[in-house]
Amino acid sequence: MNNIYPVNDYGPLMPGLVMAAVAIFHVFLAQFAVGGGFLLCYFQWLAMTDRNPNARIFIHGYFKILVLISFVLGALTGVGIWFTSIQISAVTIGEMVFNFHWIWAAEWTFFCLEVVAGYCFYRYHDRLTDKACMVLLVLYTFAAWMSLFWINGILSWQLTPGDWVQTGSIVDGFFNPSFWPSLFFRTVVCLTLASLAGCVVVNIIPDLDRDAQTSLINRSAHLMIPMLLMPLLGVWFLFAMPEDSRQWVLGGSPAMMLFFMISVGASVAIGGYAVVGLWMQRLYINGATGTLLILLAFGATAGGEFVREGSRKPYSIRQVVYSNGIRPQDVAELRKTGCVTDDPFPVTFEKTLPNDIVTTGAKVFRRQCAVCHTVEGSNAVVHLTESWDIDQQRMNIAKLQQTKPFMPPFAGTPQELEALVQYVRWVQAGRPAEWLKTLDEQALQQITGWLDDAGTEPAQARRKSASAATREQK
Amino acid sequence: MMLETTFPFGFEASTTFYLVLYVLTWVLHVAFMGYVLAGSFYVAWATVFPGKSLPPRSEQPICELLREWIPFMLSGAITAGVAPLLFVQIIYRQEFYTANLLLGWRWLMVIPVLIVAFYLLYLLKSRAVATWSLAARGITVAGVAGSFLFVAFCWTTNHLLGINRDGWANSYETGTVVAAALPLVLRLLTWVAGVFPVMCLIVAWQLAGRDSMSSSSDTPVSPPARALARMAIGGLLVAVISGTAYATQLPDSVRQHLLGAAGQAWLYAVGAGVVLQVFGWVHMLRQREFCHRTLSVISVASLVTLTGTASLREIVRVSQVDLLSIVQNCRSAADVGGFALFVVCLVLNILLVGVCLLLTRTGLRRQ
Repeated sequence: MNNIYPVNDYGPLMPGLVMAAVAIFHVFLAQFAVGGGFLLCYFQWLAMTDRNPNARIFIHGYFKILVLISFVLGALTGVGIWFTSIQISAVTIGEMVFNFHWIWAAEWTFFCLEVVAGYCFYRYHDRLTDKACMVLLVLYTFAAWMSLFWINGILSWQLTPGDWVQTGSIVDGFFNPSFWPSLFFRTVVCLTLASLAGCVVVNIIPDLDRDAQTSLINRSAHLMIPMLLMPLLGVWFLFAMPEDSRQWVLGGSPAMMLFFMISVGASVAIGGYAVVGLWMQRLYINGATGTLLILLAFGATAGGEFVREGSRKPYSIRQVVYSNGIRPQDVAELRKTGCVTDDPFPVTFEKTLPNDIVTTGAKVFRRQCAVCHTVEGSNAVVHLTESWDIDQQRMNIAKLQQTKPFMPPFAGTPQELEALVQYVRWVQAGRPAEWLKTLDEQALQQITGWLDDAGTEPAQARRKSASAATREQK
Repeated sequence: MMLETTFPFGFEASTTFYLVLYVLTWVLHVAFMGYVLAGSFYVAWATVFPGKSLPPRSEQPICELLREWIPFMLSGAITAGVAPLLFVQIIYRQEFYTANLLLGWRWLMVIPVLIVAFYLLYLLKSRAVATWSLAARGITVAGVAGSFLFVAFCWTTNHLLGINRDGWANSYETGTVVAAALPLVLRLLTWVAGVFPVMCLIVAWQLAGRDSMSSSSDTPVSPPARALARMAIGGLLVAVISGTAYATQLPDSVRQHLLGAAGQAWLYAVGAGVVLQVFGWVHMLRQREFCHRTLSVISVASLVTLTGTASLREIVRVSQVDLLSIVQNCRSAADVGGFALFVVCLVLNILLVGVCLLLTRTGLRRQ
């Protein structure tokens, strides 16, 4: 059974949004850092082979920005993700750390190499030979890409744990079904981001004439050519996803479909501009346009990450932990013992609540809903349920995984469910001083029936077992 | 049973294994962290109190070196901090996560504060800052030092919250994260003062290395050596006094473990390390120059002191948390595969880091 952790209230801000903001920002910067290594290796080669007379100037300017942005913000937001994850779902991050701590430790050794190689180059490149610079850059790039390699295994495991669920083998978990498409896709994204940043940097470097700028930009754009593979890699990734997750993305969830389309649309726009304009027609772009393209890429990254995170629902780690931090195997037990029975943390605003029923409801909300919902802010339960009458509220929450298949099953007793309903209705009623003091026995019986009907499995598992039973009958 | 022999022995092998890894990686982190924390304090002090001699303190070798290197050391501290952050989650999962959550917004502020400090550090490196007024420079350096002090406060509070299970519910309800101010201040003071000798040692090595690399004798050596020695000795003395005072604030049962079988050897080690460091620094104070042999002795003594202090810190923690859950956590974690992979990556990357350093050193020497 889970440890129970305190839950923080971020006011009108849904905790998941806090997490998403930090995660998207970090992913964007980290991918820029990885791609930056490749770009610098390429320009170092251009400089060493005299293919571009201004390549050295570019390297000098670009690496400074890479250090200032990526080494600082990238590294810190990486730790920031860890801290934020703990705030949002300690159970989820705990599970990830527990199962992959050696992978994370291996990644750490590559971090160390990345920092050392990067700083040696940053501080001394103008005093080292070309060959030494190239070795340092290759090592930096290797280390940066390897950190992507390791973390990609853990992140893709969250969506597609594959055979790991049965075997528990770290190899099965790491090289899971979406590992390779995700790794290749992200590598292309890294190259694209670095290339776009290159276009901006060229415009910042002083004393470069237009021809020199154009030639550097066109060279930088070479790293965007792999974007041509993105549709293929995207389809590969989609087919590696679990069927229900794929359905969310391809229309099952309008929000997810919208973000997916934003991501695809922005990528197409960038790719088209890069391939046709910068590569084929060798056009020049100014800093403003370059920045706009980076913002577009940020939009694509944000959309893609939202889809990746959202498509895991109702899980935060598929088949291991639900998005609310409750484990699937604990649901049946929690239906009997209650989800807040052992919760040692009081409701901080208990004095404002009219009675124990509403207090219990507030606790149930905190334990089961607060990760993704607020009471009255964004994605608020009060607003989502206001058009339902009391019986609909009871039934829809009792059969939550059927009401909305991306929701986990309710994991508590009928009394706790009724307390949650009463809490929501009390808020909807404007928080009056007096509220229902006893639970309605008939309602509890009805809720028990609905909970039994719904079962303790998530929607897709129930669908699978139903279709298996139908096949057997046939 | 588990604390009846020298820490971390006496536990199951898996628990000992993770505790050893945690302590060692944490010591590595402290080397970088100490440089950053103490260094930023020194830079702040030297900027606000430039002294009467010329050049002013803020333009003397120690301060210049610190301004130059603190950003990299902060990168190092963050990178080196990832490993102990990983192992602390394995060993003290519930305590660490709960303390994080109880700290709430303060904990989330750690990263933005570090980002601000990082950029202020880069700003301090720029030439433009030298033209600023004393007040503007003072605010900047105080901002940096204050940021790191806030981070230190958060980590200390996190530790104290983690070991105070009985106070969790009350802390959540009231939002109070500091149960008692005195232990917090003493513990914080111990660490802040205790990292000064670490910073002084690394700076001494850097200056000594710079001297041996440069053929000319234009850098005045003796003032930095004496200043560093004075600072290190002062830091050690304050750390010992505040650390002892902190120990008096601990519950009797915890103190018994520190003075008993679990902690006795480490107390001796810390004591010997401190004494040896003080002798080393006094020797340097008299010699008025950097001596590689003395610095080597101080380095070994410093490593012993840090390892000992880290072990004592863990004895304090394991004495106050649910030991069985720690053993269970480590036992289950040991069943997870991947250790061989870690060892391979560690060896490979140590070699590659060596290649980077060798390449750079060879290149600079050639030049």
